[in-house]
Amino acid sequence: MAQNNPSFSVKLYIYDLSRGMARQLSPVMLGRQLDGIWHTGVVVHGKEFFFGGAGINYCSPSGTILGDPDSVVDLGSTEVNEDLFMEYLASLAESTYSGDKYNMFEHNCNTFSNDVAQFLTGRKIPSYITDLPSEILSTPFGQALRPFLESMAVNPGGNNIPGQR
Amino acid sequence: MAEQGAADPVNNNNNNKPEASEGTIIKVTVKTPKDKEEIAIAEDASVTQFKEEISKRFKAKQDQLVLIFAGKILKDGDSLSQHGIKDGLTVHLVIKTANKAADGGSTSASSSASTQVGSSSTSSPATNPASTAGPAGPGSAPTQTPNLMSGFGDLSSLAGLGMGSANFMELQQQMQRQLMSNPEMLSQIMENPLVQNMMSNPDLMRQMIMANPQMQQLMERNPEISHMLNNPELMRQTMELARNPAMMQEMMRNQDRALSNLESIPGGYNALRRMYTDIQEPMFSAAREQFGSNPFSALGGTSESGAQPSRTENREPLPNPWGPPNSTNPSESGGGTTGSTTTSATANPSVSNPLGINPGSLGNGMFNSPGMQSLLQQISENPQLMQNMLSAPYMRSMMQSLAQNPELASQVMMNNPLFAGNPQLQEQFRAQLPIFLQQMQNPEALSVMTNPRAMQALMQIQQGLQMLQTEAPGLMPSLTGGIPGVPTGGAAPAENPASSPSAAATNPAQQQLMQQMLQMFAGGGGGGSATTQTPEVRFQTQLDQLNAMGFINREANLQALIATGGDINAAIERLLGSQPS
Repeated sequence: MAQNNPSFSVKLYIYDLSRGMARQLSPVMLGRQLDGIWHTGVVVHGKEFFFGGAGINYCSPSGTILGDPDSVVDLGSTEVNEDLFMEYLASLAESTYSGDKYNMFEHNCNTFSNDVAQFLTGRKIPSYITDLPSEILSTPFGQALRPFLESMAVNPGGNNIPGQR
Repeated sequence: MAEQGAADPVNNNNNNKPEASEGTIIKVTVKTPKDKEEIAIAEDASVTQFKEEISKRFKAKQDQLVLIFAGKILKDGDSLSQHGIKDGLTVHLVIKTANKAADGGSTSASSSASTQVGSSSTSSPATNPASTAGPAGPGSAPTQTPNLMSGFGDLSSLAGLGMGSANFMELQQQMQRQLMSNPEMLSQIMENPLVQNMMSNPDLMRQMIMANPQMQQLMERNPEISHMLNNPELMRQTMELARNPAMMQEMMRNQDRALSNLESIPGGYNALRRMYTDIQEPMFSAAREQFGSNPFSALGGTSESGAQPSRTENREPLPNPWGPPNSTNPSESGGGTTGSTTTSATANPSVSNPLGINPGSLGNGMFNSPGMQSLLQQISENPQLMQNMLSAPYMRSMMQSLAQNPELASQVMMNNPLFAGNPQLQEQFRAQLPIFLQQMQNPEALSVMTNPRAMQALMQIQQGLQMLQTEAPGLMPSLTGGIPGVPTGGAAPAENPASSPSAAATNPAQQQLMQQMLQMFAGGGGGGSATTQTPEVRFQTQLDQLNAMGFINREANLQALIATGGDINAAIERLLGSQPS
């Protein structure tokens, strides 16, 4: 049938939080090569959405202090319009993606991006991003750092989406 | 031929009823943001029928359901197979709430719609002024600024404007993590001309602050605050401060020093206390509701407005493996409890923020810092603080890391002022440490510790036991072992039943230890805030310690303690100065 639905493109913005240091230092420190410490945000409807220590946030694309992404992956397009998407996010924000649910290893920005990408397009984000925590944890150094890292969260700022209570 | 197979009886029945229709039954997972369910449906069913099933299962009206698969919205007229929905696949569901704004296709309309979505938070309407007030630049910068400013303690009500964090703790964490993950971010942002522009515009600042309803309430109650706001000089100074972390520190230091001086004046302590209860507390609670911290107590000079005894200041250590260890943790722990330590640039400054985090002062060495000591002392006097602290998620993880690293934990404990003067206690405590840590992990323990009434009860038990000890010393060895069975919290780490044999040997000291710990946690809870207790009660633990050390002149001890504000070491010096022995 004719595509009479508006279609919005969905992109994944990938940032390397280590700004290249991971690529250089990871073989030394971790014993394996990590090309970056990835943080991701999903860009759709002209905004970038991501999950951090304060919950789900959004801002204008490349609008966080991280600046421009290191790479962009096109996830396809979605018919989900903005209203619906915001509603979905609000629902997420009060359940599985509230701020206190942030866990650096298991429930982080990339988990969020993955879920949102699947919601919007049915596709997942590249696996090298979602595999990162397990890669880190598989090294002894990662294990040692785990308690510290778990108490941290990446939060590049932006506008918060609180859940509807 | 969807019509027969999809006839009513088929889909109106329970899902597990075997179908005799044409389509085979497939199991489709329907996933909402909150949960997911598996729904069995005929393969060739239409979306409408699917929605019927879903509405039954999810208890929502059919027209509230929006189904999304592979990025497409499933329309009622479609069929499942048309979209390629097969067995085992996942379809996303959004259940619309009744009140939805009109669809906005354009970003401008959608920004208002999106703020409506998050309308429960008072901050969202304010994000508009915040973002429109800022010069036209990247939209994130102005909204980030208020976030940052909360890190400086003052002007943090701006945070209420810019960020929608659900609570104070989150904002804190947000701040800390943001800064911890990249200290450069801070300087970058500060150097952002946008930010500087905004900050140098006092009118803008004032507007933003006043827009916060919490602030308005505060202002009504305390006209001094509005005076402060309207004083351009002060505003400018504040903004200078915010811009310049070093200056901020300096200011903090002066502030705290001034306060501690105040304390030592006869009657000064009372004045401080009054200041606190009259001004600070309502401000605090008002500010805390929003999650901002007291924005103006950090302002320099005016010690009467919103200033507060630094006993509520707080340094919350956070592990920072990548940050500069022990960076800028200058301390002047003069005067015991009011001794204040300033924080590094990224931390929340003292008086304004009970949960000032000091990421810079981390690392092993940090635990030895006077900051930690004063922190613990202050905690002992403010149960609310303890509660806040313990309820912070990062606190929990810190506990965890402490548990895993006993050396670290022992360092922390050694610096606890309770133990500072008593090496014997330290030894015992060190031995008990693993047990203690285990107990700290116990969430029940934590909840006990955060409950002032529970602490109070523990306190009473402890006192009762103490009385028993004096009355019937023979009973004690068995009883001290029995105590910890009751409180699960950290209050009784040293008296774990498992360690009662050793308890018998070092009984009085451990009693003291436990008592001190209990007092430390419950001291504020018992009979109102610490500030209403007499000095003698407040310094009970210190007095006992001095006693144990051999200073038997209770009066002199008390005087010394009062003079030094509870600082045992300083008190000892005083005592030694006056007593030749």
